[in-house]
Amino acid sequence: MSSSRQINVRFFAILREQAGASTLMVNSTVPDPAALYAELQGRHPGLTFPATLLRVAVNERYVAMTTPLAAGDRVVFIPPVAGG
Amino acid sequence: MFELTDRPIDSTALQARLTAPEAGALTVFEGRVRNHHLGQPVTKLEYEAFDDLARLEGEAIVSEAERIYAGAKVLCVHRTGPLQIGEAAVWIGVASAHRQTGFAACRHVIEELKLRLPVWKKEHHPGGAAEWVNCTAEAAARTGANEMFARQAALPEVGAAGQQKLAAARVLVVGVGGLGCPAALYLAGAGIGHLTLVDGSKVEHSNLHRQILFTTAEVGAPKALAAAARLRLHNPAARITSHEGEFTPQNARALVAGQDVVLDCTDNFTSRFLLHDTCLALGVPLVQAAVHRFEGTLDVFRQGAGGCLHCQWLGRTPGDLDLAGNCAGGPVFGPAVGVLGVMQAAETIKLLLGHEGDAPRQTRLVNLLDGSQLIIERSARPDCPVCSRLDQLKAAKPTTVTDTSLFLNAAGVTALGATAQTIYLTEPGEAAPGGRSAVAALDLARLRELAAAGPLVLTCRYGVRSAALARLLRGEGTTNVFTLTQA
Repeated sequence: MSSSRQINVRFFAILREQAGASTLMVNSTVPDPAALYAELQGRHPGLTFPATLLRVAVNERYVAMTTPLAAGDRVVFIPPVAGG
Repeated sequence: MFELTDRPIDSTALQARLTAPEAGALTVFEGRVRNHHLGQPVTKLEYEAFDDLARLEGEAIVSEAERIYAGAKVLCVHRTGPLQIGEAAVWIGVASAHRQTGFAACRHVIEELKLRLPVWKKEHHPGGAAEWVNCTAEAAARTGANEMFARQAALPEVGAAGQQKLAAARVLVVGVGGLGCPAALYLAGAGIGHLTLVDGSKVEHSNLHRQILFTTAEVGAPKALAAAARLRLHNPAARITSHEGEFTPQNARALVAGQDVVLDCTDNFTSRFLLHDTCLALGVPLVQAAVHRFEGTLDVFRQGAGGCLHCQWLGRTPGDLDLAGNCAGGPVFGPAVGVLGVMQAAETIKLLLGHEGDAPRQTRLVNLLDGSQLIIERSARPDCPVCSRLDQLKAAKPTTVTDTSLFLNAAGVTALGATAQTIYLTEPGEAAPGGRSAVAALDLARLRELAAAGPLVLTCRYGVRSAALARLLRGEGTTNVFTLTQA
């Protein structure tokens, strides 16, 4: 487990509605986006959207949910969108 | 009904044939011989028809108008032989309940006749000179085909050569809804030579706030057909083909093959993956957009660049994603689909002209509520089972479940017998209306149990999530699961 550092989180679509915020500054020790999302679900009970159905981008690149996070990373959780 | 005649048109007698107590409107258009054409004086006209074909084509145009404009009764008569100035050459009458339908159907018939009917006219000028007027030239002259694109061709990035590329291009638009309407309108306006529109649904009142090709007159009309007619008005020189029906594993390859660019304007992941895989296998670039309320995503996919849709959703099935990404998409901000649809048109034109830049390696996230835009860089995942096995994909047969027996109406449900259960699927925070039996849409285990006990009919607020779940369960091998069709 790494030490606590600041991570910038951005939500889209249904996630933003569930979390009640479009951006969050988080101080956390979590290793990767998967753990970060779980931690955020703990802090925001409305955030019920299943993690298995998310895409994640770190610093504007798609990455796996298990990619290690570093201080100052910009993490964007993107849910599926299909409407047309 | 369509008729050819070599005798003078008697408007009063024709009107009498359209008398009906339920018709609150009679709309009549009469096309007459005028004394000038393209600045030249005209003394008389002569019409010659390819008789049998003209009758068939005329009948086809009339019945198409009656299908688009439900309830309209159309009578159309075209003259042949020599006509004097002021005589009626064509007569169209529409009896309908309301004026909107009458005007629209009448307009539809005359515009299609001018483009399609194998009837030629010979103009006689003063002094005895005469010429056959070419239909295509007339269509071009009426719109000023070249002038229509002048301001676009003046762009250095387009030019005369680029404009010719667009005129030679074939583009497929799958889904003629909130995204497809503005996309197709801008593509027709840009001078794309051949557009094919695919949609199996009909226009509803609740579509009109965003589906800008349709008006109240088209409510009830097959979308592909009504949209094609509307686009032909916009650019009569374009070839517009309509395919009334869904995009399915059976027709996917035939529709995509030979296209220069494909636009994904559908509203569910099952269609999105099928379209994506077909384009990837055939090497056709795909411009995909999707919208949730005020937000949208835009992706350009091209074989060999920036990975594929599977790279983004590794391990998730279209069924999983439809459960999550769909019914919640019911409410929609009209300008959001408008902007994303127009962006799809822009990316399509750029691809055709070779100006796509980095677009095939990016996902663009657009938010119309806060005005933000975010670009995510895409790249191929080395462990992607699709990108890395393109040869297998090219040979593979699509396997998506699109069995039409999935859909039942009320009579179909009754026919299942007393043991059948109808279940309303709820979204988080949603209560089932009117005390209906409900199950949370993400509770697959409970739905599997119910399906094991007897025939299971799923329904939900918009009908999208229930169809996705029914497909998912069918895909697992459960045969007695169905979804209730809307209305």
